[in-house]
Amino acid sequence: MKRLKRHLPDAIMAFTALSFVLPLVVMLLTSFKPEAEVLNPESVVPDDWTTSNYQHVLGWSEEAPFVRWLLNSLFISTTVTLLVMLFSAMAAYAITRLRLPGTKAFLGLVVATMMLPAQLFLVPVYLILSQLRLLDTPWALIIPATAGGFGVFLMCQFMRAVPRTIEEAALIDGCSKLGVFLHVNLPLCAPALATLGVFTFIGSWNDFVGPLIFLDSIRNYTLPVGIALYQSSYVTEYGLTLATSVLATAPLIVVFMVFQRQIIESMATSGMKG
Amino acid sequence: MDWLRRVAPYLFITPYALAFTCFIILPFFVAFGLAFVKLELTSQQPAAFVGFDNFREALGDPYFRKSLWVTVYFVVLAVPTTVALAMALAVGMQAMTQRWARNTVRAMLFVPGMLNVAVAAILWQWFFNGEFGLFNHLLESLGLPRLPWISSRALAMPSIVFMTLWWTVGGSAILLLAGLQQIPGELWEAASLDGAGAWKRFTQISLPMVRPVLLFVLVINTIGAFQVFGQTYLMTRGGPELATRSVVQYIYETAFNNYRLGYGAAMSWLLFMLIAAFSLVQFFVLRKVDA
Repeated sequence: MKRLKRHLPDAIMAFTALSFVLPLVVMLLTSFKPEAEVLNPESVVPDDWTTSNYQHVLGWSEEAPFVRWLLNSLFISTTVTLLVMLFSAMAAYAITRLRLPGTKAFLGLVVATMMLPAQLFLVPVYLILSQLRLLDTPWALIIPATAGGFGVFLMCQFMRAVPRTIEEAALIDGCSKLGVFLHVNLPLCAPALATLGVFTFIGSWNDFVGPLIFLDSIRNYTLPVGIALYQSSYVTEYGLTLATSVLATAPLIVVFMVFQRQIIESMATSGMKG
Repeated sequence: MDWLRRVAPYLFITPYALAFTCFIILPFFVAFGLAFVKLELTSQQPAAFVGFDNFREALGDPYFRKSLWVTVYFVVLAVPTTVALAMALAVGMQAMTQRWARNTVRAMLFVPGMLNVAVAAILWQWFFNGEFGLFNHLLESLGLPRLPWISSRALAMPSIVFMTLWWTVGGSAILLLAGLQQIPGELWEAASLDGAGAWKRFTQISLPMVRPVLLFVLVINTIGAFQVFGQTYLMTRGGPELATRSVVQYIYETAFNNYRLGYGAAMSWLLFMLIAAFSLVQFFVLRKVDA
């Protein structure tokens, strides 16, 4: 009886966790059902397995070029991730190591602007992008995404904790400042860079409001807005929309499986500073 | 060569500083300027200074006021339930006996948060569909009457809040669990020796010790909830009868469907002030409790 009571939380939490994942399992299984079975399900598992939904989604069509959206999303998210990692690491190196005047105030300003809600920036960024003639191009999503403060803040926190002795040894050995940055600081910051990269990729991949506002032509859409369009034009064909959803989610689930520990650990510690 | 040595350090910070200036600092001032200007992209007229007219219009605009109520309703439903459920999940996870099992549960609770808002909304729109949705199917097979879910004015918002809870509670639970795990074990042991029961240990030790994290979770959830847009827009388009049209959706429609940029910017500032006020109140109220 006592043992039973001790394991009660295990049982409750396992059940809860399963119920959180259940909708995703239903989504995956249903995407392999023919439409008639989607609308009138006998059971969660398909009676009549079919890949027709996927064939239809992946087939080329002018109104819903899914593969094109996938490639757009991949290009934008990858570019954003690489640029954010590079810019943040460079800026953090300058702020923590190069003793430039005013960098402390700059960092303070960056952190302060992180508190501003994103909705405040929608209208002015749209106007700026339209002046730069960047609307309806991938750069409308890429360039503004490099301005966020999270990366610089994270890299500064991490670089401060790295001991200077290795860098000093490298400098004495005649290494240039650029060489020290490339060969000493960057490799030492690899864990923080990986965390930043994962978070940036997920954020960019899942961005919905940005592409909704800054993109116009269907062929330039990213997956989230593409899926939303798909859903509104194929309102009742849930088999199809669920297949698109699975395809859009799969890359993220892979990223999550690989970096699960890193993602959750850094999420967990972000509350400690608050 | 000498000038290069002097300029070189600045080259490290230039790319970010440039992006930051163009897409954070500049937009901030542009947003400020826009709020006092009449700028409508549909007419060919140049921007004209109108003082506080945009703000005055917003305060008298029944649609803006309606969207404000809708948003506050969402915040009032979503934030307390999210924080309470996250706390319950964190306590539950802490009470688990196996480390690997706890880590697995933690990951599983977080998985829905990885989904894109479009994917999550489409999935739940299907669950909530009145005719062939999964929930009504379940109700029917149990011999219960169907419910209108997101197509009814009364149930639409609670349904969306339920979906949001599933989608976002995992992240908050992870934060709170980390907070609970920071509490030194001796405190629990001492309390147990003094004969404190589980509830007493929760209210006397867990809650006060975890308060800073709780405050953080509360504030970020509130800031996020005030900006609700994706799930309401995609699941109901703000309907039925505007029952779920949030402020951000109204700003979006004003600025990008009707191209009234100045008015949209002014409403953005009003929402920002509301968010800031709420965050400050939460911050001071929760800070003061233990003084």
